[in-house]
Amino acid sequence: MLEFMNRMRRTTPLWVKIIVPLVGLPVTAALAFAVVFVITAWLGKPLPVFGFGEGPEQPIPFPHTAHAGTAVLVDTAGMARKDAQGNDLHGVGLDCAFCHRTVTQSASAGIPAREQCVTCHKVIGSADKDTLARLRELGLGGIEGAINWQRVHRLPDSVRFVHEPHIRYLTTHPAAIENSPDKTIGSATSVTPAQVCSTCHGDIATMTKVKQVEALKMGQCVNCHRDNGAPTDCITCHF
Amino acid sequence: MVQPAQQIAAHHWGMTVDVDRCTGCQACVVACQAENNLPINLEEHFHQKRAFEWIRVERYWEGEFPNIKARFIPILCQHCENAPCEPVCPVYATYHNDQGMNVQVYNRCVGTRYCANGCPYQVRFFNYWEPVWPEALRNQLNPDVTVRSRGVMEKCSFCVQRIRRARIEAKRDGRAVADGEIQPACVQACPTNTLVFGDLNDPNSKVSKLRNGRRAYRLLNDALRTEPNVYYLARVDNDEAEVAHG
Repeated sequence: MLEFMNRMRRTTPLWVKIIVPLVGLPVTAALAFAVVFVITAWLGKPLPVFGFGEGPEQPIPFPHTAHAGTAVLVDTAGMARKDAQGNDLHGVGLDCAFCHRTVTQSASAGIPAREQCVTCHKVIGSADKDTLARLRELGLGGIEGAINWQRVHRLPDSVRFVHEPHIRYLTTHPAAIENSPDKTIGSATSVTPAQVCSTCHGDIATMTKVKQVEALKMGQCVNCHRDNGAPTDCITCHF
Repeated sequence: MVQPAQQIAAHHWGMTVDVDRCTGCQACVVACQAENNLPINLEEHFHQKRAFEWIRVERYWEGEFPNIKARFIPILCQHCENAPCEPVCPVYATYHNDQGMNVQVYNRCVGTRYCANGCPYQVRFFNYWEPVWPEALRNQLNPDVTVRSRGVMEKCSFCVQRIRRARIEAKRDGRAVADGEIQPACVQACPTNTLVFGDLNDPNSKVSKLRNGRRAYRLLNDALRTEPNVYYLARVDNDEAEVAHG
């Protein structure tokens, strides 16, 4: 054995001794990266590469900061946006349920019809802004103009999630709310429906482009159900 | 405040099938097919005995011509208390829940088909193919029911999506689920009220009263002791009734 290794050392050409580490190291690194990526993706928090950490691109960029948020709006350069008088522009702070109207009544939260956008944007917003011009161009009525919003939070096909009972429970049991920007919300006696959304969706009001922050895996559902005395029977969600 | 767990245990769902009323019209079969996203059965599927019918109407001929009688008996999953399908599942994809229902969890099923082999009522169906619908029927799929993919077992669920909805609505309104409020698709479609669904734990429910009557029996229960939650009400013919009355 020793003799064999000595012979190998003598007979292996120099270029092989250089090429093998040169190729082998990047290949090992790439494999290690792939393993880490798969594991993090499985845990629901993929590495932010190849656009995985971000939300999908929407047909019309809809900034939740301007609609649901109340903070000062910033442009792409990071500068505060000003109105005609030179004052800082703030988000208008709409209630989540103002647009996602069916969230307190039905299974799906609902995406507003284009008409609802146009109701305000007929007059609000600068006329030369490209996205608003496109929105008005789509006009009122007609399926041809429907906006093909890309879904951000998607549960597997075998899961039946109903928003209504979850909103109803959390509004009366704020201790179960998570991810809320309001840290004292847990001690409140009752809150509005819009204050409970963060539990699963994160603080949407601070997102220019909405992305999924919670993994929304079954373990999270079951943990919350168990902690709050909700049924953990399989058929509660899977049918 | 009532604990949710106690509310759940209060229900025990069951069904009665009045064989005397059934005319064999197959409305229940069609309603079930539409409600539960069952794939389209082709002729060759029936020849292969691989057609999907969560509820089927079996027909028997009794007697000799001219005194011949047609007998119809709708057969669906009996939701047995001692279900032969449950202990054979290696992955707990089918189990009995605390509301008396035999539950099939599609995303847990790995397709061993042991349960279908164990079922004496032949009411479990295996997806041998990826289900396909004609383009025109794509939009008629029920969004409240999972579309099962190839390789999983499925069966009558007592229209659990309707039970879930009724219970959520009842809880929202702060009341109990009323008797007759929940109607599985077959019950709703039945023109002769052959099928009655309800809470067996409630002694005043219609289904409880019917199953406590003299005509009630359960399929294969004397032989197999499966303890089904579906009760059948025996047929009473006019001539036999007259004889019985002497």
